[in-house]
Amino acid sequence: MTFLEQIKSDFNLYTAQASDDHFSRLRKEAFAAFEQLGIPTTQLEEWKYSNLRSVQQGNFTTSCVSNLDADSLIKAGVLNTIESNKLVFVNGCLFPELSVWLETDERIKICSLAQARKDFSSIFDAHFGKYINFSKDGLLALNTALMSDGAFVFVPEGAALKHPLMITNITDANEHALFQQPRNLIIIEKNASASIIENYMAVGAYTSFTNVVNEIFVGENASLEHYKVQRAAGNTYHTNYTQLHQLANTNINQVTLTLDGQWVRNNLHFFMNGENCNSLLYGLYIPDGKQFVDNHSRVDHAKPNCFSDEKYKGILKDEATAVFNGKIVVHEDAQKTNAYQRNQNILLSNTATINTKPQLEIFADDVKCTHGATIGQLDEEPMFYLRSRGISEQEARRLLLNAFADDIAEKIKIPELVAILESEIERKL
Amino acid sequence: MSDTEVGIIDQIVTQEYKYGFTTNIEMETAPMGLSEDTVRFISAKKNEPEWMLAWRLKAYHHWLKMEEPNWQNFDYPKINYQDIIFYAAPKQKVQLDSLDQVDPELLKTFEKLGISLQEQKRLTGVAVDAVFDSVSIATTFKEQLKEKGVIFCSISEAMHEHPELVKKYIGSVVPQTDNYFAALNSAVFSDGSFVYIPKGVRCPMELSTYFRINAENTGQFERTLIIADDDSYVSYLEGCTAPMRDEHQLHAAVVELVAHENAEIKYSTVQNWYPGDKDGKGGIYNFVTKRGICEGNNAKISWTQVETGSAITWKYPSCILKGDNSTGEFFSVAVTNNAQIADTGTKMIHIGKNTKSRIVSKGISAGKSHNSYRGLVKINKKADGARNYTQCDSMLIGDKCGAHTFPYIEVNNNTATLEHEASTSKIGEDQIFYCAQRGIGLEEAISLIVNGFCKEVLNQLPMEFAVEAQKLLAVSLEGSVG
Repeated sequence: MTFLEQIKSDFNLYTAQASDDHFSRLRKEAFAAFEQLGIPTTQLEEWKYSNLRSVQQGNFTTSCVSNLDADSLIKAGVLNTIESNKLVFVNGCLFPELSVWLETDERIKICSLAQARKDFSSIFDAHFGKYINFSKDGLLALNTALMSDGAFVFVPEGAALKHPLMITNITDANEHALFQQPRNLIIIEKNASASIIENYMAVGAYTSFTNVVNEIFVGENASLEHYKVQRAAGNTYHTNYTQLHQLANTNINQVTLTLDGQWVRNNLHFFMNGENCNSLLYGLYIPDGKQFVDNHSRVDHAKPNCFSDEKYKGILKDEATAVFNGKIVVHEDAQKTNAYQRNQNILLSNTATINTKPQLEIFADDVKCTHGATIGQLDEEPMFYLRSRGISEQEARRLLLNAFADDIAEKIKIPELVAILESEIERKL
Repeated sequence: MSDTEVGIIDQIVTQEYKYGFTTNIEMETAPMGLSEDTVRFISAKKNEPEWMLAWRLKAYHHWLKMEEPNWQNFDYPKINYQDIIFYAAPKQKVQLDSLDQVDPELLKTFEKLGISLQEQKRLTGVAVDAVFDSVSIATTFKEQLKEKGVIFCSISEAMHEHPELVKKYIGSVVPQTDNYFAALNSAVFSDGSFVYIPKGVRCPMELSTYFRINAENTGQFERTLIIADDDSYVSYLEGCTAPMRDEHQLHAAVVELVAHENAEIKYSTVQNWYPGDKDGKGGIYNFVTKRGICEGNNAKISWTQVETGSAITWKYPSCILKGDNSTGEFFSVAVTNNAQIADTGTKMIHIGKNTKSRIVSKGISAGKSHNSYRGLVKINKKADGARNYTQCDSMLIGDKCGAHTFPYIEVNNNTATLEHEASTSKIGEDQIFYCAQRGIGLEEAISLIVNGFCKEVLNQLPMEFAVEAQKLLAVSLEGSVG
């Protein structure tokens, strides 16, 4: 069976047992859209540099069966030393044994998406699928039609998560090639706040394809820390679509660290649908070997007086390829917008490739927007400075590269996590 | 804004495009529409050699298989290629030897445009090739140039007199199959300029082509080919205007530049096609393919453009930096007002070692217009030590316009150093206030600020053109505040 035939048969299995409610109708619509759009190809401008053809050759299973026990999962990368609430998904299904719950505020609801649909259906229906538009994105449509499980987070008006929530997704490809489509729905209501970590890990030698969609709603005056840590080593394909819908006076700090993964594509879309929003987007990618990392971001300034700052940094080794595509769209009414965007890359080998495309689309006049991109090697001057103080070339390089990377890692406001990540960055460099 | 200011602005907004007149002259045209016969008709009219016709037909057949591009971020009504006259020429019977034989009506037209072909004879400095609708009318200073060995003539003339050069270079930089509009041009191009600078010659004067669309329902498809042999230098200028018409007219030109070892080509454009009226009715579609290749080591190609006209400008003058140590430059000012659209930029393809490129793009949008910078900087695997610096700044005047930047940067070599900077901002209120304090009116203040904003680019233009360009900027932006 080809990949597409398999998807089709999976969907037929689903429709056979689905009831006729809003949710299943949406999924049918999404599947129809997927059949129109298909898996994106390099013919599409947005996918010009990102080729997903090879993954479609695989013979995948979508079952979440795994033989891993709690101990081996912890070894695989559930960061259990960090004091946080935890949800662990293995091959797309919740692994309750490792879930940790530290909050005392009972109004906060955190559970699997499947359970939320039963227990909190009114909240679920009010938000699910409301912030994304799958009619133009094949993978988004596919996820909506055939999603596996994922996290549901509801922080009601005025509530605050005391501890961060870590959502860990572990791919176990020890037994067979795997295709999974995690889907998370995060709702932070008015005056609420939360800190959420997405942690992606993988074990096993088979190929895996993970197509994630995050829908995040941030209500008025709310604030969100959102961190994405991608460390899925091995033969992994990972596509991640994160949509953040912001209302007025919201603050979001979003950090994406791509430390491992054979083929990674991140789509990050901020939609500022209210005044006085602050959005910070930071990213770091360190691909080596033949790894491929593509960061696509889009920031929509739809209302006046919003601020966004984006900084993505990359260090490329070996035959790695990276893509950066940042787009700032300032809508007609969005006067007094301030938007900044930077992409800085260091190429450590002459077989590495970087394609960068920082874009601005501006439809208002009273704005300040800048973007910049640099590509090069390590700066000679600081290198010379360090060497002149008796530091060896190797040590000086290490120091400079770490400083370059830490600039982004430091944006994460959880010191224990930063410490773990910094040591991993150092190992990778 | 006060009432008097609004009044002045209204007055200026209604000011009309000043080159919008038409010339009554007997024309010879091809039948409307495009078919293989049209291509054969044009080729026969020009009395072209067989290989040229074959070349055109190859382009035509390829064009039939292509689709009009649709990746742009603007819409325009589809062009019906059967409603266009692909060839229009003032009737003339014999080959002209001197300006005195040119139809006086034509000379008057060019005089009205400020390009006096007669005067050129007396004033030294610029040699002009005047292209009216589809054909070259007259080329001045031919003799003086000939002494130096410089060939400057229309491309149809070159086809007869220097077939070996034309055959060797035509389509070598922009192949017939390059893109939709280049293929169309290759099939139906009617005329254009041809320049050849021999080895070691520094062209003694600026060369210039002036394009004029006159006839109704025509498209203008000219093709320019400039070859600078080893150690030579040439500076070339082009200017253009068109009458005001309610329907859109298509201008799909191709420009090819070849710079050999140590040669330098400087290509400047002041584009002032009719931009359409303030509601976007009429105007020229300026869909042009311009590309230069630095074939030899240490070659240099520099593009400078001031784009103020056209309903839609869609062009990307590019440099292929093939020779080691070669340099590519792109300086651009694009001003859009009313309903105009400009989507312009450049491509710098670094292939040779230690190649350098510099891009300075200034976009100014006013009214309901949209102005985009779209560019590519590509560093190939073997282009060690490549260097690029890109700066694109946009200025917005009024709250209904748009400014966009789409830079593509592709790097396959770790010894490359690239910098890209872009900014978008509103015209400075404090600057206007400062001018107002000193008794400088709003319109004039904007003109001053815009000229300052563009200075880096305007400085690249040859002097005669720089003055014209500055005036043009002022005119295009008149009535943009309000």
